[in-house]
Amino acid sequence: MLMPAFELHKPVSIEEAVALARDLIDSGQEFDWVSGGTDLIPNYKWHINTKPHVISLAGIEEMKSLSMTEIGAGVKLSQLEVSDEIHPLLKTAAGKVASSLIRKSATLGGNICLDTRCFWYNQSEDWRRSIEWCHKADCGTGADCRVIPNQNTLCVATYQGDMAASLISLGAMITLVGPDGIREMPIEDFFELDGMKKNVLQKGEFVCKVTFSEEVSKRVGAYKKLRVRETWDFPEAGSAASWIPGDLSSLRIGTTGIESIPRSHCKEIEQHANWNDEDSIFELSQAVQKSVKAVNNTILSPRYRKAMVSVLTRRAIEEII
Amino acid sequence: MSGGYKQQPGSGGNTVRKDGKRVAGKLKFQPPGAGGSNPKMKERDLDFIPESVGGKEPQPAGSHVHDRLRTGTVVGKEVALVDANPKVIGKAEYGDDVRLGGEIIGKILRSPHHYAKIKSIDTSKVEALPGVIAVATGADAPKTFGVLPVTKDEHAMAIEKVRHMGDLVACVAAVDEETALHALNLFEVEYEILDAEFDPRKGIEDVDEPIHWRGKYHVGNTNIQKRVFQEFGDRSLVESPAASSSRKWRFEGVHHGFTEPHAVVAEWDATGRLQLYTPQQVPHYTHRALSTVLDVPMHQINVIRTFVGGGFGGKSDPFPHEMCAAILARKAGRPVRITFDREEVYWINRGRHPSYIEVKIDADEQGRVAGFDIDALIDGGAFASFGHVTSYYNGVLATSPYELGSFHYTGARVWTNKPASGAMRGHGAVNTRCAVEVGMDEIAEQLAVDPIDLRLANLLPPHCRTITGFRITSNGMREALTKVREGSDWDNKFRKLPLGKGIGIGCGFFISGSGLPIHWDPNRFPHATVHIQIDMDGGVTVHTGAADIGQGSTTAVAQVVSEVLALPLDMIHVRSHESDTSPVDLGSYSSRVTFMNCNAAIRAAMEIREQLLNAAWEMTGYHPTTLVLNDRRIYYKHDPAIGVSYLEALHKAQEDVGALIARGAYRSPPMGGVHKGAAAGLAPAYSFSAYVAEVDVDVETGIVKCTNVWAAHDCGKALNPLSVRGQIIGSCHMGLGQVLSEKMVYGRTGHLQNANLLQYQIPSVHEMPHVTPIIVESSDPEGPFGAKEAGEGPLLPILPAVVNAVYDAIGVRPNTLPLTPDQMWSDIQKKMKELKIKDPRKLESPRLEHGNLQPVLEQRAEEHRIRDGKRQRTEDTSAYVNGALFGFDPNIPMEDQVEGWRSATEPEPEKLAELGIAGKAWLKQEQRKMGGDN
Repeated sequence: MLMPAFELHKPVSIEEAVALARDLIDSGQEFDWVSGGTDLIPNYKWHINTKPHVISLAGIEEMKSLSMTEIGAGVKLSQLEVSDEIHPLLKTAAGKVASSLIRKSATLGGNICLDTRCFWYNQSEDWRRSIEWCHKADCGTGADCRVIPNQNTLCVATYQGDMAASLISLGAMITLVGPDGIREMPIEDFFELDGMKKNVLQKGEFVCKVTFSEEVSKRVGAYKKLRVRETWDFPEAGSAASWIPGDLSSLRIGTTGIESIPRSHCKEIEQHANWNDEDSIFELSQAVQKSVKAVNNTILSPRYRKAMVSVLTRRAIEEII
Repeated sequence: MSGGYKQQPGSGGNTVRKDGKRVAGKLKFQPPGAGGSNPKMKERDLDFIPESVGGKEPQPAGSHVHDRLRTGTVVGKEVALVDANPKVIGKAEYGDDVRLGGEIIGKILRSPHHYAKIKSIDTSKVEALPGVIAVATGADAPKTFGVLPVTKDEHAMAIEKVRHMGDLVACVAAVDEETALHALNLFEVEYEILDAEFDPRKGIEDVDEPIHWRGKYHVGNTNIQKRVFQEFGDRSLVESPAASSSRKWRFEGVHHGFTEPHAVVAEWDATGRLQLYTPQQVPHYTHRALSTVLDVPMHQINVIRTFVGGGFGGKSDPFPHEMCAAILARKAGRPVRITFDREEVYWINRGRHPSYIEVKIDADEQGRVAGFDIDALIDGGAFASFGHVTSYYNGVLATSPYELGSFHYTGARVWTNKPASGAMRGHGAVNTRCAVEVGMDEIAEQLAVDPIDLRLANLLPPHCRTITGFRITSNGMREALTKVREGSDWDNKFRKLPLGKGIGIGCGFFISGSGLPIHWDPNRFPHATVHIQIDMDGGVTVHTGAADIGQGSTTAVAQVVSEVLALPLDMIHVRSHESDTSPVDLGSYSSRVTFMNCNAAIRAAMEIREQLLNAAWEMTGYHPTTLVLNDRRIYYKHDPAIGVSYLEALHKAQEDVGALIARGAYRSPPMGGVHKGAAAGLAPAYSFSAYVAEVDVDVETGIVKCTNVWAAHDCGKALNPLSVRGQIIGSCHMGLGQVLSEKMVYGRTGHLQNANLLQYQIPSVHEMPHVTPIIVESSDPEGPFGAKEAGEGPLLPILPAVVNAVYDAIGVRPNTLPLTPDQMWSDIQKKMKELKIKDPRKLESPRLEHGNLQPVLEQRAEEHRIRDGKRQRTEDTSAYVNGALFGFDPNIPMEDQVEGWRSATEPEPEKLAELGIAGKAWLKQEQRKMGGDN
């Protein structure tokens, strides 16, 4: 498995990274960001959407802040899983990502920006050539989606980042930096429903950090992850819930691993605002389940993964009350 | 005393560090001549010398013919594998570690289509690419090969057709990997796409273009590669059973998942001979296939087995890429190295067959097993590989350990356009065994008896003949069952645990070496040969062709030689890598190596031992029968002061002949019936095992976690208990993979969707239960020091033990493996619908109240226990043939037997309609019977 050659740029400041990106854009060059590389490099080895330039964010110290209210995108998951500075839910969730070896390299920003995954996409070049490519990596052929042929222009590859569900449930804000400046938004707005586009990042823009309001320290949360093995595996479904104990309206739920984006479930919580006993929690969990839709492109069946959203959500809520 | 040989110049000093570890490069050997007057000679280790020859090692199973060769040196002791050090420190050279001067890199062009005719291949652009040194296509090697002589259906590269995605089309060698990969894009191949078939159930139907054509032996126009019919015993017994279990199973294909991907290096040396380096389990078959395909005599080829990074059956076929490397190297005049990506490993496959298996078990009112009806349709993928054998194994290896009233088996192996299935640890026996053991559990439930007691009351005894004619010698099944029952506290747990927690039993039975070798005429050649050579330095060089694939066969051979000669293990050097110097061995498959190769090694060692004893006789004047070998010394047994050192005796023995050279061979005894297929499953000995597994089942998510396993395996005699336990624990891991998460997923388009180690889900350390290995030693009369296999059999029982435990936990009996969470969840949903409940937490786990039959079985089990003990210790040597429990008398000729006892290997035409899915293969006729002979 030989990776195609690329030029690696190693800026040491946000400013330099942005400038590098701007230069490459101006000269019409394609590039990718990399930080820990645990997502990008395997894809590159499979020759999936490779670019001639890669800008590494790993050397930017400004992006390694770590506190209850701010975590830099460059912080490694292995740091999060042992940190007492951050919210315990994030500590737990980070410890559930992939394997200890991968967490030594993988970063929070990389996990948030994880490429969407699909049975028809995460394959070698020979393999993908034999299905005449797919919508997400069409190699210029305009190939159709192989999961749901003849549907529309959307890509249905699944978002399987772990951290997003917990970040959503803790009400995180995300900060992006790019040639057009800095912008900040609630993390659920960062994701965009299309397995190809994935998120709102513009060309040259990257995730700089996530921040939380002061109230986050009062929150109690839980993350339930569905996977076949207790290591390595991406979430086949995941649900995180957090609240300020005693305040029913403070409940926030985030789910991941089901669709092309992670979801926030404010609407369902609003409709079941009085979730104070076993039955109502069950109903709320059912409502969360109904609001998501899985497709057949990961290892477990979509019907099952969807059904598990309810179980995981209920268990997450039960753990925090 | 002397500090011993200097292994390196310079310092004297201790050979042992303060912490007790040996100093590198320093061995604690005495100088030549030591031993004779060495007051520090070790005492004879009586704990490891059998009772029968005056030691203290208990022999509950009776004495053994090899007892008198025991010196208490190393057999039965826990020793590290002799090749562990190079592996641990990274010095072992695996396939891809071989670096020869001037090597170039080979890459293989693979088919992007599942099934297609190759109309043309244009290589001109490839050849024109700078850096490309050699190019080859199927036209360069038109001769077929295959591991079984009866089904040679593979080519180095496709000739007319590609038969599965990833099939080899052409290959190229270039100065570096990048150039070679780039060159692959420049081949211009024109294909005519054919209709591919992925569903084995359609394999028994006529098609326009069968995947292979077998001429007059081809069955109709189907994709049937092999079909089997066997019927034995009294079929009237199953007409009105007291209990009956019938289940239709689906087993997904699984892969060996060995760590090292295939790799090969080929070089034609300066003398024009081929030197081929490959991590092979069966170098000898590669040797033969290379000779055929390359048109070169075998003596002009040297196959060098590198260290093998795991095989499990997946490296036992001669492989097309081995041919490709040799062809490219011949064209290039330079060494060629080919290393697979993990994806290519899945494309060459040879994993366990995806199977549809139906098992019907009937029991009579006395709780006897009236009949096994087995129908197995197995998906062979695109090539035959070991499939001919697998087709038989799926049935015949279920005929023990239980005594059967009748046995009915229909099996078929079909070609599909998928990577070829082949042999994998527990070859052919695993899936059916799972189905049979789960069926036994269901029968026990219907009869309201404990499933362990049901088994104990139906076991075949030691020294008997099975229903299809296998000769069982030692048999530790009863002891294994009894030990796991005690170890697991079974009687206090079974059917008594709360919802979600369960305990289950499963048994296993496997061959210890195949009685009839694949490529051999037993009347002309032995199965295994070992050469031993000792020169004046006293070191023992053992030459064997046995392939150590990590299972420890090299250690086992070194151990038995060390034991017989009473020399420390460090003095035994095993040379097994090159076909030039190794006597032919049939390879590491069918769990034959310890049994056959160690037997050969013992014979060679005995010859050396005799020469040494004779020399000592001459020197001491005491007859060899009164001499003892112990720790590099030979002395008079009643006065250890009278004796000579090993080296003194050796030098005496060498006086007239120089280096001592001896050879030993093993050939299995004649055995088995004469019916068609009688040879399949014949072995000089069989291993038995019984496991109890405990599981936690999450009823809501369907996640099954195996928490505890008590694993008893009868390996005859544990030559190295550490190694046996390792094999048991490793087998549990591999079997758990198949039962819980591993499967080769073929998607809607027939593509293998998970040809990588992320999505092909081998259990991690987190999924491993606590395994308690229990070694049962039944002392096989023909095994080396009583040993039988421990490498494959231990895998079998874990599958049914887990499935039965799941039933005990939640009352759901799955019949599709693996029990992935989604599969389990849908089984639970079905059960909930059946019970009309909405919350899975309201499920009830099954309970057992013993019925009237329970005491009957307990009594019969007790009688049989006494019977078996006598037979095991050969106090009772009368013949015992399966069927005695039903009134069959082996002393009466077959034709005068109880009415109904029969054996048949072809179905009666009027019964064709009743046959199962694989049995339907018999609805078709062979071409020669249809008038076609093309």
